[in-house]
Amino acid sequence: MSFMIQKNMNEPDLIRETFIKYKKGSEIISELTEISVGVTPHEIVYSEDKMKLLHYKTTVKNPCPVPVLMVYALVNRYYILDLSPDKSIIKNLLDRGFDVYAIDWGYPSGMDRYLTIDDYVNGYLNNAVDHVRNKSGTDKISLLGVCVGGTLSVMFAALHPEKVKNLISFVAPIDFATDKSPLNIWAKEMDVDKIVDYYGIIPGDFLNMGFLLLDPFRLLIDKYVGFFEHIDDKKTVENFLRMEKWIFDSPGQAGEAYRQFMKDCYQENLLIKNRMEIGGKRINLKEISMPFLNIMAEFDHLVPNESSLPLTEAISSTDKESMVFPTGHIGMFVGSKSQNEVCPNIAQWLKPRSYAQKDKTKIGVKKTKKNHHKQKESMNES
Amino acid sequence: MRMDRSDNESQNIFFFPWLKAWEASSGHIGKFPAIGPSREKTEKLMKGHPLYSNLYSVWMDSVSDFANISLEAMKRMNDKTSLMDGQNNPDKYKEIYNNWIETYSDTFKEFLRSAHFSGDMGKFMSCLIEAGKYNREMLEENFLKPMNLPTSTDIDEINRELYSLKKTVKELNRKINELSQGK
Repeated sequence: MSFMIQKNMNEPDLIRETFIKYKKGSEIISELTEISVGVTPHEIVYSEDKMKLLHYKTTVKNPCPVPVLMVYALVNRYYILDLSPDKSIIKNLLDRGFDVYAIDWGYPSGMDRYLTIDDYVNGYLNNAVDHVRNKSGTDKISLLGVCVGGTLSVMFAALHPEKVKNLISFVAPIDFATDKSPLNIWAKEMDVDKIVDYYGIIPGDFLNMGFLLLDPFRLLIDKYVGFFEHIDDKKTVENFLRMEKWIFDSPGQAGEAYRQFMKDCYQENLLIKNRMEIGGKRINLKEISMPFLNIMAEFDHLVPNESSLPLTEAISSTDKESMVFPTGHIGMFVGSKSQNEVCPNIAQWLKPRSYAQKDKTKIGVKKTKKNHHKQKESMNES
Repeated sequence: MRMDRSDNESQNIFFFPWLKAWEASSGHIGKFPAIGPSREKTEKLMKGHPLYSNLYSVWMDSVSDFANISLEAMKRMNDKTSLMDGQNNPDKYKEIYNNWIETYSDTFKEFLRSAHFSGDMGKFMSCLIEAGKYNREMLEENFLKPMNLPTSTDIDEINRELYSLKKTVKELNRKINELSQGK
């Protein structure tokens, strides 16, 4: 029921209906005690400083032997991958027979301001990967990097290809030359040194302000009008509050890592040119030769396809594929397409590649290089 | 004096005779022990003037830009509503709202992704941070240091030292593990 569009309603009716709706909505909200997120059962199997490695409880008897490590971005929190039982990429993959791990980067504090990208990639991520390898008894694991976590995963895979069996880049920015997203335009005008020197730890609210500026009228007004239109529906209220919790749960960014990321990636675009260095080592994307899946969202306003797609061409993998889904950046995590299209496609691609090396010829790894536009068309048709 | 071309020198030329006259007279009486000799305090305060002037100037540029773009959005909205028929009933509320949000959202998005806005925002951020940095320095020098409390610079030095020590410890641990595993 939407009070604003009911036909033949006069003003007193409208006011009465609105009052009843808001009264019910107030009751729903006052009954809610806690907004639960990240509820899929898991245990912390490794931690280092603020970083924690989560291992999710498998839901099938014999999961795939090659585990999947999900690497979320440093911006916002990893639990968008497990927002609620019916909106959980993690649960979906568990139910499809995968052994899933995820990294929680935590909230950097003052003493983390000097952490560099090298510390994140060759330190925390490398140690987490080693831990997963030891725990699962496999030499190589599957890496699923999400958003900027995807960028970090790509850096890791290029520097440590011997540890990665499969690489999935999930709406990850790699080529920053595009001006399709305002973020790319704004970043070029920022005096990054001044910002990092002043803040040390870049406040999460500073970044959030930038995200809200992408479409202020929709994100600061229309979203809430939409919420009030459905305030008498308990499920809608719960989902809305979960998303709000995630959106404004923004950890700060370690200053030095932020400095290098903004300058080398957004301003100089060194990563795609194979000229970026971390820890004194140059990142050569040609070192990525493992099976690779590049996942993008057609209407992504944060990471345009132009920023992700060039990676498929830049690496030397022969078994590689690009998929574009007709949804937005956030829709990839929590939209209906996430559960019904994105997860099944990831599982379908990953499963045959998630067995030990000796089984590889038996199951037959499909060596395809699909044209992403064709893929997009087929997704739209479906 | 133009606000957007302000600098220390021109202000000093203007204010110094007045400052010296004040120091030689009633300035003797009104001293503030917590913030040091009044002469230093005034000089330091004056260094902030160009920063605040610049901040004010770029802020006003932004206000002007947003006023113009709001006007543009209003015009576009007016064009749309003039095409709607004159019925005034609740059925139309949602339609008007949808038109309003669409018009304003599109107009502002167009503006926000322009090079003009991007450049202005860069300048604004830069001036805001310079003014903030100045404020922080004044606070630290005038209040924290006299009270023997650590400043953000002191804490940053400790953080840098901690970071370096942690890194060394991790590296040593890694080497010990390698040696113990006979690598």
